[in-house]
Amino acid sequence: MKFEEPTSDNLFDRAMVIGKATPRIDGPLKVSGQAPYAYERHDVVEDQLVGYPLGATIGRGRITAMDTEAARNAPGVAAVVTTLDIDPLEISSFNNARLFGGNEVRHYHQAIAVVVAETLEQARHAAEMIDVTYEEEEGNFDLEKAWQNGLGTDEADAETGNVDEAFASAEVTLDETYRTPDQSHAMMEPHSSIADWSDGENMTVWTSSQMIAWARKSLAETFDIDEDRIRVESPFVGGGFGAKLFLRSDAVLAALGSRAAQRPVKLTLPRPFIFNNATHRSATIQRIRLAAGQDGRLTAIEHEAAAHEFEGGGNEENPTNLTKLFYAGANRRVKHHDVVLDLPESSSMRAPGEASGLMAFEIAMDEMAEKLGMDPVEFRILNDTQVDPMNPDVPFSDRNFVDCLKVGAERFGWSDRNRKPGDTRDGLWMVGHGMAGAYRGAPTLTSGARVRLERGHLTVETDMTDIGTGSYTILAQTGAEMLGLPLEQVTVKLGDSRFPASSGSGGQFGAASSTAGVYAACVALREEIARRLETDDVRFEDGNVIAGNKAIPLEEISADAEITAEDTMEFGDFQDDLEIGTFAAHFVEVGVHAATAEVRVRRMLAVCDAGRILNPVTARSQVIGGMTMALGAALSEQLAVDKPRGYFVNHDLAGYEVAVHADVPDQEVIFLDTLDPAISPLKAKGVGELGICGVAAAIANATYNATGIRVRDYPITLDKMLDRLPETF
Amino acid sequence: MRDTIRFLKGGQVVELENVGPTETVLDYLRLRCRQTGTKEGCGEGDCGACTVALGRLVDGKLVYQPVNSCILLLGMIDGAELVTVEDLALDSKLHPVQAAMVEFHGSQCGFCTPGFVMSLFTLYHAHGQEKSRKAVTEWIAGNLCRCTGYRPIVDAALDACFDAADDAFSWRANETRELLQKLADSRDVFIGESDSFFSSPATLDGLAALYGQHPDATLVAGATDVGLWITKQLRDLPKMIWLGRIEGLERVESSPSGVLIGAMATYETTEEAMSDLSPDLGVLWKRIGSKQVRASGTVGGNIANGSPIGDTPPALIALGTTLELHSSEGSRALPLEKFFLDYGKQDRNSGEFVTGLFVPRPSSNQAFRCYKISKRFDQDISSVMGAFRFTIDDGTITDARIAYGGMAATPKRAEHAERALTGALMDDPSTWGAGMQALLSDYKPMTDMRASAEYRMETARALLAKALMEISGTAPDEIRVLAIREADNDRAA
Ligand SMILES: Cc1cc2nc3c(=O)[nH]c(=O)nc-3n(C[C@H](O)[C@H](O)[C@H](O)COP(=O)(O)OP(=O)(O)OC[C@H]3O[C@@H](n4cnc5c(N)ncnc54)[C@H](O)[C@@H]3O)c2cc1C
Ligand code: FES
Ligand code: FES
Repeated sequence: MKFEEPTSDNLFDRAMVIGKATPRIDGPLKVSGQAPYAYERHDVVEDQLVGYPLGATIGRGRITAMDTEAARNAPGVAAVVTTLDIDPLEISSFNNARLFGGNEVRHYHQAIAVVVAETLEQARHAAEMIDVTYEEEEGNFDLEKAWQNGLGTDEADAETGNVDEAFASAEVTLDETYRTPDQSHAMMEPHSSIADWSDGENMTVWTSSQMIAWARKSLAETFDIDEDRIRVESPFVGGGFGAKLFLRSDAVLAALGSRAAQRPVKLTLPRPFIFNNATHRSATIQRIRLAAGQDGRLTAIEHEAAAHEFEGGGNEENPTNLTKLFYAGANRRVKHHDVVLDLPESSSMRAPGEASGLMAFEIAMDEMAEKLGMDPVEFRILNDTQVDPMNPDVPFSDRNFVDCLKVGAERFGWSDRNRKPGDTRDGLWMVGHGMAGAYRGAPTLTSGARVRLERGHLTVETDMTDIGTGSYTILAQTGAEMLGLPLEQVTVKLGDSRFPASSGSGGQFGAASSTAGVYAACVALREEIARRLETDDVRFEDGNVIAGNKAIPLEEISADAEITAEDTMEFGDFQDDLEIGTFAAHFVEVGVHAATAEVRVRRMLAVCDAGRILNPVTARSQVIGGMTMALGAALSEQLAVDKPRGYFVNHDLAGYEVAVHADVPDQEVIFLDTLDPAISPLKAKGVGELGICGVAAAIANATYNATGIRVRDYPITLDKMLDRLPETF
Repeated sequence: MRDTIRFLKGGQVVELENVGPTETVLDYLRLRCRQTGTKEGCGEGDCGACTVALGRLVDGKLVYQPVNSCILLLGMIDGAELVTVEDLALDSKLHPVQAAMVEFHGSQCGFCTPGFVMSLFTLYHAHGQEKSRKAVTEWIAGNLCRCTGYRPIVDAALDACFDAADDAFSWRANETRELLQKLADSRDVFIGESDSFFSSPATLDGLAALYGQHPDATLVAGATDVGLWITKQLRDLPKMIWLGRIEGLERVESSPSGVLIGAMATYETTEEAMSDLSPDLGVLWKRIGSKQVRASGTVGGNIANGSPIGDTPPALIALGTTLELHSSEGSRALPLEKFFLDYGKQDRNSGEFVTGLFVPRPSSNQAFRCYKISKRFDQDISSVMGAFRFTIDDGTITDARIAYGGMAATPKRAEHAERALTGALMDDPSTWGAGMQALLSDYKPMTDMRASAEYRMETARALLAKALMEISGTAPDEIRVLAIREADNDRAA
């Protein structure tokens, strides 16, 4: 099925199941410890061995020798495969750093051997015995240096109007530089796989992946084997946030170990290994210039940024992307430098580009509002746009950012905010208020599904994944709505390469695309039922199909044999002539301690505009989860780079500090009641990434409001303010 | 002598003959029992995905505590009831905390969920907790979740955890108590050979003898440090002696003169007595590690471990604590600050172990403050920890004891600052500057990933100012930040 034009009125506008607050249907399995994650699937194949990885301990260079004799003779060891034993594996079209093979070391903790043994202890013990000799080379690990050299060079990526002239003639201007650090996804389930490639022919991988079809394709390319010989399963994923979009070393090492030992092998990446072996969000440095008239209208915007990537590319962290679209302004120039560094591979993490871009841009907006003497909410309202400012012929399909701002200001009590640093006190805490806007695109990807109706029970099969987002639940809701069935009569099976390929989970495209795919399959099923009833006028209600004035139970229709249908939703070109996005306004209250400059967030509010909300329960959780991740990004999360040696130093969950309960205050989320007919038949856009956008800047702005100290270098830690606390208040 | 460990699981007594010295409860569950509901997210006590509940008798009452099974040694559950996420649902009916987690959407990707469920299970069984968001937050601070943003979990807890317990565990509590009483015995436990064993003596003399024989053995109290030596540092520790079954070592005795803390007293069991000594200690205690770490970790272990960033030594040193050591040769006591000789080096002889400490109660003319500075509010290691006890007579400081963690290779007193502040006037901040200045000669902190040297020094000075300002109580609003500036001016002058 092809989605060729905006949706008109349809059954979702009178929905019975969609849009209702429905607890996730996989909840009972999860709370009782029964949901099977990749590393514990002992039942899927017998005789599993355990693999343990060994990582390089240099940032760049080559391996001249590896002594594995002791390891191979250690108790319980079934196989040792080192990177010197095999030719360099192909780098798949989704990867940039090679996952294994050859003597070249391109990043710290690159996998250089896998030991396979009967038990984990044996494998780990033997891995310790491998003696590696390196020839270390100098690497380039310094983004700051690259920024200083690159600033102002290269052509603009996009430019409209006459930016230089606009700045020269502007009444009010701003020119500041902001920094965001490297960040880690830090999902709770480590990368894990069980691989069975015992015969060296057919490969089955039970893994933890956001994208089944990509994983399969990558495996095929990496090992140069036919995709048809590979099966991938990933029904439960313990979080991803982008970390599990692409094939990682866990599956590759398990497969190599399995081929060598001729038995299935399970392998999980030890937590301290993940930070440097796998991917992360790149640090960014961003210079933002704004120009406006005294009336507060932006006349020019310039955004120049740098992030680092592994040689070959792949880093989506382009903070300037959003700048093309978010606010009005006739003159604009954006430029992004992808700097190649020898650090581990930078890759997508929740809202790549927007997350770090808004961390900076929304501080700049706050600074500009202050220069103009304007309320930052008013300033943003004034500079709203309903068209792509660089291509005014392209309208936003449905943009209600101004409503987000207004509703948020009202609900938060913005008019009573603190006005001057130090004015509002709560004991020894200086209280501050801040806000920020948020924008995140709403892409869609082709997505397929198969549906089976048997004795009135509907089974939905698609290779879509549920990484905590709620796919099981919203796809069941979609199926139930389409067939007029109660939710209990729908089973959803996910994450198996034997099912039709879906969009997968990522880029905030999962919910919108995969529900549309299930819609398409259900339309096909409805047509098939209508065909069997020899009519084209059918409705589906209360477990019945209603043809003319006859109601036939679906149970009866599908009593003898199951009826199946399969289809794929493709999204038409008309979407290219529109900007489809999601929007939010964030409001935050912080307290900053007057003596120690510790920052504590006290209150957070998000107002979101994301089209139809398919399930308010799962959607709200997505947003507050994002807000919490952004809180970590604002105040504590930072991968520290060892610049001489080229690796992330704080590579565990004690040193990489995500927010804990006590850091997280009262959070509220309001969804505007909006619909976007241009996105899909369900008129629903994603929210999974919107929630992280803009929040950190709101915290930074609130901190400034409390103290009068502008920190432009995340995370906002006390040392950056301690010596500048206000003298009197 | 017993050569097995015994514990309860699912209402049954389990007896194991085969217990490796470094085998963890998590590995036992996942590998030996193939019960994979309990997850491993980090293997080092940071994430709580591996949380299980341990039921023990405390003064005859059955108490459930959350613990991190990834760093808990299997032998340490001897005599306890082990409860895991698989044990909660009855037939297919979810336990009330599980049902609430579903209803309030406390589980998304679900990987953290079994750990949360078990933490909430222990809250469900804790009696007399005040029903508040804050109480819940404190209870589950040791469970990380990257998906939910926590609020749905807190909502689930508020809904499910504060009514009288009414589940299979409360129904069979009497039976469980009887079984646990039967399991308690006073035999020494020794499993293994003389070159590789897990052991758990039942008496102090037994311990002194065994440790005297094997001075190379590893003593383990709560294993919140030792567990990481195993899972993270991959150390070979063939001989393990657990102190958890020695009667009397868990004692906590409060008196007008102070608090006596036995070497096996945990953060949890000492919290009340410490809060009573000083509210600041109460706050500090709550911010050490997490509920899981506090349920297992001991104050004695924190001291014996000798880390320069341990949280309790600075506070206890400032209070004038004495440490008691014992071996087969006899006992001795020494001021706590004398115990820390150098980085990784303590004044402890071969075969000697800590039996307890005595913390004097501040007298009526003494004011005490201590502060922990870390990035996150909970579950975080301090970058700087400062503790201050001032004796104040007629508004003049007549004696000062100041100690910091994170400023030197050991927890260390600020002797220059102490001297400089003696004679300072509480109501005259201009007399404090010399003390703040003197800190510069007391410490040469180092720069590491957690904090730079300048940051540590700046923070140390801010903490001293904070203490003086709070204690002086003289219009703190006006002077609080000024004081730092004045000290700066002093330095410039
Ligand atoms: C997640 C996590 C968070 C933490 N957070 C904090 C924190 O916020 N602040 C902090 O200070 N620490 C923290 N720690 C460290 C640890 O919890 C403490 O040091 C704790 O007090 C150690 O006590 P234990 O009983 O677990 O000691 P163990 O691990 O059992 O032993 C610690 C050391 O003491 C020795 N030892 C134990 N008992 C004796 C004895 N009687 N005589 C002689 N030697 C003995 C052991 O051999 C070992 O060297 C944290 C640890 C973890 C895992
Ligand atoms: S696995 Fe993370 S605390 Fe045990
Ligand atoms: S639900 Fe995913 S980490 Fe908590």
